[in-house]
Amino acid sequence: MGSDEAYNFVFKVVLIGESGVGKSNLLSRFTKNEFNHDSRTTIGVEFSTRTVQLRGLTIKAQIWDTAGLERYRAITSAYYRGAVGALLVYDISKHLTYESAERWLKELYDHADPHIVVMLVGNKTDLASVRAVPTEDAKDFAEKNGLLFMETSALESTNVEAAFNNVLEEIHKKVSSKEVTRGSINAVSLSNPKSQSEESQEEKKPCCKNL
Amino acid sequence: MAKVQQGNGLQSGVSKSLRGTTESLADQESNSFGSDNEVNGFAKTESQTDKYGFIGGAQQHTGESADDVPPEVLRQREVKWLEMLNSWDKWIAKRHKKVKLRCQKGIPPSLRGRAWLYLSGGKVKREQNQGKFQELDSQAGDPKWLDVIEKDLHRQFPFHEMFVARGGHGQQDLYRVLKAYTLHRPEEGYCQAQAPIAAVLLMHMPAEDAFWCLVQICEKYLPGYYSAGLEAIQLDGEILFALLKRVSPAAHRHLKKHKIDPILYMTEWFMCAFSRTLPWASVLRVWDMFLCEGVKIIFRVGLVLLKCMLGSQEKLKTCQGQYETMERLRAVEPQYMQEGFLIHEIIELPVTERDIEKEHHAQLRRWKETRGELHCKSPPRMHGARAIMEAEPPSRRDLQQNPTIIVESPPATRSDEGIQDETDKGRTRRTKTEKSKEKRKSGSTEVLTNPYAPPSDPQPPPHDAPLLKDTPLQGSNQSLSSAEQDTYL
Repeated sequence: MGSDEAYNFVFKVVLIGESGVGKSNLLSRFTKNEFNHDSRTTIGVEFSTRTVQLRGLTIKAQIWDTAGLERYRAITSAYYRGAVGALLVYDISKHLTYESAERWLKELYDHADPHIVVMLVGNKTDLASVRAVPTEDAKDFAEKNGLLFMETSALESTNVEAAFNNVLEEIHKKVSSKEVTRGSINAVSLSNPKSQSEESQEEKKPCCKNL
Repeated sequence: MAKVQQGNGLQSGVSKSLRGTTESLADQESNSFGSDNEVNGFAKTESQTDKYGFIGGAQQHTGESADDVPPEVLRQREVKWLEMLNSWDKWIAKRHKKVKLRCQKGIPPSLRGRAWLYLSGGKVKREQNQGKFQELDSQAGDPKWLDVIEKDLHRQFPFHEMFVARGGHGQQDLYRVLKAYTLHRPEEGYCQAQAPIAAVLLMHMPAEDAFWCLVQICEKYLPGYYSAGLEAIQLDGEILFALLKRVSPAAHRHLKKHKIDPILYMTEWFMCAFSRTLPWASVLRVWDMFLCEGVKIIFRVGLVLLKCMLGSQEKLKTCQGQYETMERLRAVEPQYMQEGFLIHEIIELPVTERDIEKEHHAQLRRWKETRGELHCKSPPRMHGARAIMEAEPPSRRDLQQNPTIIVESPPATRSDEGIQDETDKGRTRRTKTEKSKEKRKSGSTEVLTNPYAPPSDPQPPPHDAPLLKDTPLQGSNQSLSSAEQDTYL
């Protein structure tokens, strides 16, 4: 996943949600196929990339993982800049983490691009025996708010690929359609790896072009 | 010497949630060290634990990252430190430069915990608030904080033998210390970055001492870092960035060009005092200096790393773009974090308290212009041990070393320097005297190991020790120490 491989797009995706819902493990499962039950708490920001093939295109996904504790929200807005996708994660076995989804959503729309693709993700389906959030409730909530929805288990590696790929595909759809105005989603870059210079990721040169 | 002390993972009173139920799944699935090391609370074999207590290379503590101090030098330093600790107030007031120099050289591992307690003023706080920790410890705590703290217990240095076991003694103490802090400062509560700070302290001292050191770090060294709104850390981010302009214009220009907000890279560095970033040998040396000289050390480490990683055009060519730069900063090349190199750079970097204070005022003014008043009024920052002591002068009694294990020495051969040591959460302490062959009366039933053993393993056995005459316990097969603390040092 070096920075010099060829790709058509770079999409920045952020992981948000309460502390302990499994954001970091979703990240490591998707980018490294790793799961660590005792992963360190995220303080500040973590990130990782993975390059995926979607409909013949090479997409480099930059996933940013943030600290979930309320207190860190004061500084997380900086992480949202340039994000074109977000996974809003809750823990299906902890209702409180689901209840805060609305707050997170508001936070996200306050700071991120209005066209950002958001997926509500109910993680830890491996704990189905102690499920506290019914799938239907979450699905309804997602529909009402125009979010994608999926349940995952980073531990059992269930739906993790699907969730990320789904989001990446939606982003690509938006980018390809006229829905995204020039410069609105600015981290997307139409790559040309040889000249992959800083400009291609910056606002200076909006680069949401159709292929 | 780094013995695996786990085994009490089953006696947990702390971690009683669902987590345990997923354990077995995690073990099948995981390819990490953490999960399978914790089965039944037993860490794996001794051979995998390094001299700092880390299992399997988790904190970049490879041999090359650490400088070895010859045992004879360590012995001499121990004697000097014991002398200083015996008249601490005088040393800090009158010979502060010497104390600073000795902290820069590195505190001997066997005395590091005690030195930190004295440097931070935690010792004075503890004496002036006797019984306070026990009182807080016995209270229930606000469920709102306890819930978050519990979630974090197994996520601090999960590769350190002290914290590897779910509900093991390390995690239990961490819980006690963090909970006590939320009761001590209910308006502050708990902030996640406090956990690694407390964990580092607990690797060196019993819970009560770690609590008072944590209080001092949160209130004197890094006030406001952990408060709601995280304004102090954002302000320090701006200060760091402004100082960088002078230290490395190229790095400054690059970060500015790519609009990389300081909080994107410095939050973890500063909030955890680099404890999660540097190789362990460097963490300890940085903390030795940080607790003596204050936050300027943290700034200097940050500046050195930024300068090394982004300081030349050549280096910048390979990290064009925000993400690439962030990646670079997260994966600092080991050579720049190597103990000898890093400490030298820190000492040499001309960034003073005054520079920081000046920049603080400038950034505060800017903050007020653009964002209004600070919401959280933090106490003023104290730049190190001397400032702390000057602000609240201790009495002699506060600084007195009061061992709880008294080793009776034969009257005739009374040591001229009653070396004492305090260890162990079980409140067992001891006084050491010249004769290592003395019988010890200890209330403790623990297996105690040698606190004066040097950090590197093969330690000369008892008898070959003319060097060791100042450190009488050296080599005694019944020497006293905390099973938990000193063995890691």
